[in-house]
Amino acid sequence: MNTKESESQETNNSGVSRRGFFLKVGVALNALAASLIAVPLIGYVFSSFTRKGPYQSWISLGPVVDFPEKHTRLAKYRNPFTRPWDGATGDIPCWVRRVAGEEFQVFAINCTHLGCPVRWFQDSRLFMCPCHGGVYYEDGSHAAGPPPRGLYQYEYKVENGVLWVRGGQLPTLSEPV
Amino acid sequence: MLRKIALWIDERLHVSKIYASTAGHSVPASAESWFYVFGSGTLLCFIIQIVTGICLAFVYVPSANEAYTSLEYLNYQQPLGWFIRAMHDWGSNFMVGIMILHMTQVFLFGAYKYPRELTWISGVVLLICTLGMAFTGQIMRFDQDAYWGLGIGAAMMGRVPLIGPNIVHLMLGGPIIAGETLSRFFTLHVFIIPGLIIAVVSMHLRLVLMKGINEYPEPGKPVNKLTYEKGYEELLKKEGVPFVPNAIRKDLIFSGLVMLGILFCATFFGPSGPEGTPDPTQIRTVPRPDFFFLWIFSVLALLPEYLETFLILTAPIVGIALLFALPFLSGTGEKSYHRRPVAFLSVVVIYLVVGILTYLGTYSPWSPQMDAWSGDQMPVKYIQGRTPLELEGALVFQNKQCRNCHSLGGLGGQRGPALDRVATIMTSDQLVRQVLQGGGNMPAFGKNLSPPEVAALAAFMRTLRAPTESPVRNSTEPAQPGR
Amino acid sequence: MIVRRRRTVLLITIVLVVLVPACDWMPGRPTPAERWKPKSEIKDFNQLYAQNCSGCHGANGGQGAAQPLNDPVYLALVSDEKLRQTTAHGVPSSLMPAYAESAGGTLTSAQIDVLVAGMRSRWARPNEFNNVGLPPYSIEDAIAKGSGPGNPDRGATVYKTYCAQCHGEEGRGGEKAGSIVDPNFLALVSDQSLRTTVITGRPDMKKPDWRSNLDGQAMTPQQISDVVAWLASLRPGTEAKTPPEVKTARR
Repeated sequence: MNTKESESQETNNSGVSRRGFFLKVGVALNALAASLIAVPLIGYVFSSFTRKGPYQSWISLGPVVDFPEKHTRLAKYRNPFTRPWDGATGDIPCWVRRVAGEEFQVFAINCTHLGCPVRWFQDSRLFMCPCHGGVYYEDGSHAAGPPPRGLYQYEYKVENGVLWVRGGQLPTLSEPV
Repeated sequence: MLRKIALWIDERLHVSKIYASTAGHSVPASAESWFYVFGSGTLLCFIIQIVTGICLAFVYVPSANEAYTSLEYLNYQQPLGWFIRAMHDWGSNFMVGIMILHMTQVFLFGAYKYPRELTWISGVVLLICTLGMAFTGQIMRFDQDAYWGLGIGAAMMGRVPLIGPNIVHLMLGGPIIAGETLSRFFTLHVFIIPGLIIAVVSMHLRLVLMKGINEYPEPGKPVNKLTYEKGYEELLKKEGVPFVPNAIRKDLIFSGLVMLGILFCATFFGPSGPEGTPDPTQIRTVPRPDFFFLWIFSVLALLPEYLETFLILTAPIVGIALLFALPFLSGTGEKSYHRRPVAFLSVVVIYLVVGILTYLGTYSPWSPQMDAWSGDQMPVKYIQGRTPLELEGALVFQNKQCRNCHSLGGLGGQRGPALDRVATIMTSDQLVRQVLQGGGNMPAFGKNLSPPEVAALAAFMRTLRAPTESPVRNSTEPAQPGR
Repeated sequence: MIVRRRRTVLLITIVLVVLVPACDWMPGRPTPAERWKPKSEIKDFNQLYAQNCSGCHGANGGQGAAQPLNDPVYLALVSDEKLRQTTAHGVPSSLMPAYAESAGGTLTSAQIDVLVAGMRSRWARPNEFNNVGLPPYSIEDAIAKGSGPGNPDRGATVYKTYCAQCHGEEGRGGEKAGSIVDPNFLALVSDQSLRTTVITGRPDMKKPDWRSNLDGQAMTPQQISDVVAWLASLRPGTEAKTPPEVKTARR
């Protein structure tokens, strides 16, 4: 402490302290370098905030003939945005209801309440959720339980006898399919 | 000679000085209590977790494709792999449990009051970190529960207004639950949170040394900011004892018992799971969180819909803020719970509420039993002596999945009421109306039942009563003998 | 002193050497039996039956609302192929659902084979029927074997002879058994189901089979076809009774 005080007194007369200047430059240099490092780091970790638009792509669910009319069947597709090490987690199921002809409804597997996998019961024509008891009618509309809305539906198209859906991300209330 | 070497080392490392200011520090004789052993118990559990966690990391592969395989390898092939998994599993249960006891004791004994506010606040950070470890640890057991647990987390985050999608993708590390999600939670579980815990525990312990261990509270001795620290110093001078070897004795006994407890549970009950590959196409699964999060699972089932999003987003923040604010809301005054009825009652109420919610969560009556319709047999007494139409009605009851939500003879779902005596409560018309139109949290079956099915079902349900009881009838119609 | 310490060290070593491998025999050690399997790989009859069949057919194959499966008469009557087909695709316009994955159910064909084989090996007693003239299983089989198609008018007479004693003069139910002409009942059962029940009765509920409706006088294949035809003729027009949507969906 004493030495520092004496030093500062010693150099006070010349206005700018050489050591004080060095200290300031040192701090500034470190702050600058650190922020130069921090910006890409933050950009790396929080890349989801700079992403433009949702993850969406057309995905084939196979030939239309696989889905009998008036029936609801489980279909699976490989998510188009997977990493090589994703394994089975990249296989996503969905419920395909063929209403008639080329009129379809394709539902996400996830309950709109908290995302658990809903199961189709073809005898009572209901979807039931094993977590908190959400129930939906065959057209995906809310029937009972806590879900705040009906099942999430994929956009679909039929081309050359093949059913395509537009998807690629886990549906949530703020970003359905 | 040895003594010389020891002194030489001590001169350089200052071991004896460190000892005097840590292990040897003076604590009030009254702190030598069985109530004061939980903090060290939690720390011991954390050390066990570090050691067993490092052992697991030798084998575990944090890749979505391989994690499950490596867990099965640990369970069935790696010698004693199952044992290390079991120790880590039970160690986490003990850690959360003892930490909650520690927190309860600190709260009831007023130890968070002046001048130990920061000790409490660092403790709250440790609470959050430990629960974070428990949750991310459940994700490390990368099975179906982990997968859908992440799904539930994402669905909750997805309710955040405006930046919901960004938060979900930040949490998942991509558009879906997959490899990067596991890597993210692995990083949290193995690097970030343990690092935080070590840092905050150091601060927590330093605060305990600096501000002293709370003396055993006595009713009628309120904390006063002006006099407390002086009083505490005098207390230490008058009846202070060194932490080692006096106060540590009970800690040691408790620690030994905790280790034996973890060892016992690990050897006798083994590790949990992994239950099913994290393959979302395996949809015949019933996701459940680990024990300490069951109560949250229950809350989410029981909240009314209009409150749900609001509470999911605000309740955790308000709860944590309240915990942080506690030492400032009641930083002085009585310490003993004998003079703090509100504090005491809040503990009782919180324990009861969380306990009941956990109990409900263990059998989750709000969930349909997915296999009840095809698997749960009809009680024979509801079959014997029934007409062909009534038997068909029983088949309709099973076939239309009524059983998934309504139990008969104690078997079946509990989401709706048990229907064993429904004939004594509802007339035929009421039954038909309820089935067709639904209502009261029951779907309408109108479109999905043919008229003969409805007739058969109603005929069957009219037989659901004790033999001695007669079914209710519409009061506008005259009573008929028989039915 | 040193000797004793050495002994302690030795003892601890021995204990460790013995204990460490012993850990693998601890009760907490997971056994391969506890290992999770996908539902599609369950090949144990009891487990499959308890999960998929006991709801309607009873816990041990009988005393359920539906046809008992542990009835040796039924198992002698029905072919494996028919059992497999019924389990896989259900019975259209009845309450037996389809279980095959290809038909929207949850069972693989291997699992359905396990169920069929399991029912046979557990409950069939083929030797008891070596000298019994079993009626043909289906009306098609009966016609193939030379008996004529069912005649409702003759069936009414057959009914009065064999069935009226329990089900009442007109089939509206009697002291021992309920109505079998209820239009709603008839709308829910297939002709084959009626035929099967006429032949096998409900042994789990002490209801007689085709041999024991009358003492010493078994029903002939023709009589069986006739009485089923009579019952079928009382069924109201199913087209009108069943909404078209539901009907097509089951096909």
